[in-house]
Amino acid sequence: MIQFEQVSKIYPPAFHALNDISLNINKGEGVFLAGPSGAGKSTLLKLIFREEEPSTGRILIDGKNISRLTSRAVAALRCKIGLVFQEFRLLPGLSAVENVALAAEVVGVTKQASRTKAGNLLQELGLNDHYDAAPLALSAGERQRVAIARALINDPMLVLADEPTGNLDADAAHECLRLLFKIRDRGATVVVATHDLDLVNRYGTRVLWLRQGELIDDLHRSEARSVAR
Amino acid sequence: MKTTLLGFVLRRVGNSLWQLLWTHLLTAVTMAVTLFVFGGFMLLQVNLERLLRVWGDQIQITAYLAKGVGGADAQLLLQRVRSLPEVFLVRLTTQEQAWRDFQTALGSQSGLLDGLPPDVLPASLEIAFKPAQRDSAIIEEFAQRLRREKDVAAVEYPQAWVERLSLIILAVQWVKWIIGGLLFLGTFFIVGNAVKLALLARKEEVEIMQLIGASEQLIQAPFVLEGMIQGLMAGAISLAILWGMFVFLRQALPTLAGVLMPVARPEFLDPTGIALLLAIGALLGAAGSLFSLRRFIKTWKASPRVA
Repeated sequence: MIQFEQVSKIYPPAFHALNDISLNINKGEGVFLAGPSGAGKSTLLKLIFREEEPSTGRILIDGKNISRLTSRAVAALRCKIGLVFQEFRLLPGLSAVENVALAAEVVGVTKQASRTKAGNLLQELGLNDHYDAAPLALSAGERQRVAIARALINDPMLVLADEPTGNLDADAAHECLRLLFKIRDRGATVVVATHDLDLVNRYGTRVLWLRQGELIDDLHRSEARSVAR
Repeated sequence: MKTTLLGFVLRRVGNSLWQLLWTHLLTAVTMAVTLFVFGGFMLLQVNLERLLRVWGDQIQITAYLAKGVGGADAQLLLQRVRSLPEVFLVRLTTQEQAWRDFQTALGSQSGLLDGLPPDVLPASLEIAFKPAQRDSAIIEEFAQRLRREKDVAAVEYPQAWVERLSLIILAVQWVKWIIGGLLFLGTFFIVGNAVKLALLARKEEVEIMQLIGASEQLIQAPFVLEGMIQGLMAGAISLAILWGMFVFLRQALPTLAGVLMPVARPEFLDPTGIALLLAIGALLGAAGSLFSLRRFIKTWKASPRVA
């Protein structure tokens, strides 16, 4: 589903954020992007949702070179990608249900249908008492669940999460990852960037290990444990 | 654009107008000043053109007959002039008639004429032109022909005034576009800055919309629409002030209006002029918004803020 072919990203004047990365991520797969800060995890995610373009190499999603997409096609691509961030990125002026519904409204779903779907998702994620709450009135874990609901509302084929547990306590972080990987049950691919090795080791899933812009390993859980040690 | 997206855009415009009401109002008032100045020149131009048209319609040549020409000679000249193709109407005023008219015009002061001989005023022909012949070159050439008539002593017509007024109108037109153009340019940047403020206030919202797949058009449309609404508001404000000033001046300066406009009272902008001013406002607002949007939105990188 996602293919990187010898992808490098260089920021001016000469910062090599990613070096010659080649990888494949299959449909329905759950993948951790692990590595210390500055390893290139966020850059890799930005390349996938076309926030950045590669300096060299090609990125294919479902066989299409995303560097060649028009701005309209980029918007259409992003509609199929759910994004979750460390700092939640919810609009403080909107309620939880409005924040979630916004993502559906921008792709042309009616206000009523968007609200209904947003409400159902919030209920599914255990936030049925917080539909009308402002984000700032929610705990960090609850805010991240609202963000996950927003990422899911357009039935994405791919969910990208960048340090989604960075602002959460241990229990909330665990719950957040459980929910994220559960998204695979809907047929979506999930890519989670994190520097938290304890979390990586809890889940039996593939780990792409980055360091200083290099893909140094493509491991499974047991192997990740040994790297962590 | 889909109907649902249009509804979404309109809701966002409504929210923004409400949330940033004072910013929008201030911008609209600033634009209104520009539109008021421009509208003022439009109004001046419209009324001067109207005055010129009225004068043009009334333009006539007065040919004063030579001393002693009257009776049969005057009738012959009248017939000859009446047969000319340019002439719409010609009226002979005899010396006696001219004297009586003068006395009537003086009214209670007609005693001033006591002692003067009644033939002191010359007989005259007042000649009006067919509409198609009311051209300064034709009239000038016609006047020259009349001057060559042996029975005609002098020929007068208000051509100089008409030409001067035409020049004034041309000047007003140029001033309107030069001053208007400079003001539009200034307003364009003011609107651009107001939109920049609105954009900065909603930077996070714009970034999030980019991230969740909103198209560039969907992000830009509410701002452009807001600019247009501001422009229309500004147009309406400027028209209201113009109307107020117009009514005030028309009432406060009746004498001046009477002198300048003996036949036609000053008039306000017609529906086309009003629509033009509103359209310029809307265009100015939309263009200012687009200018800012293109500069700023593309420079913002919607991205997760983690290295």
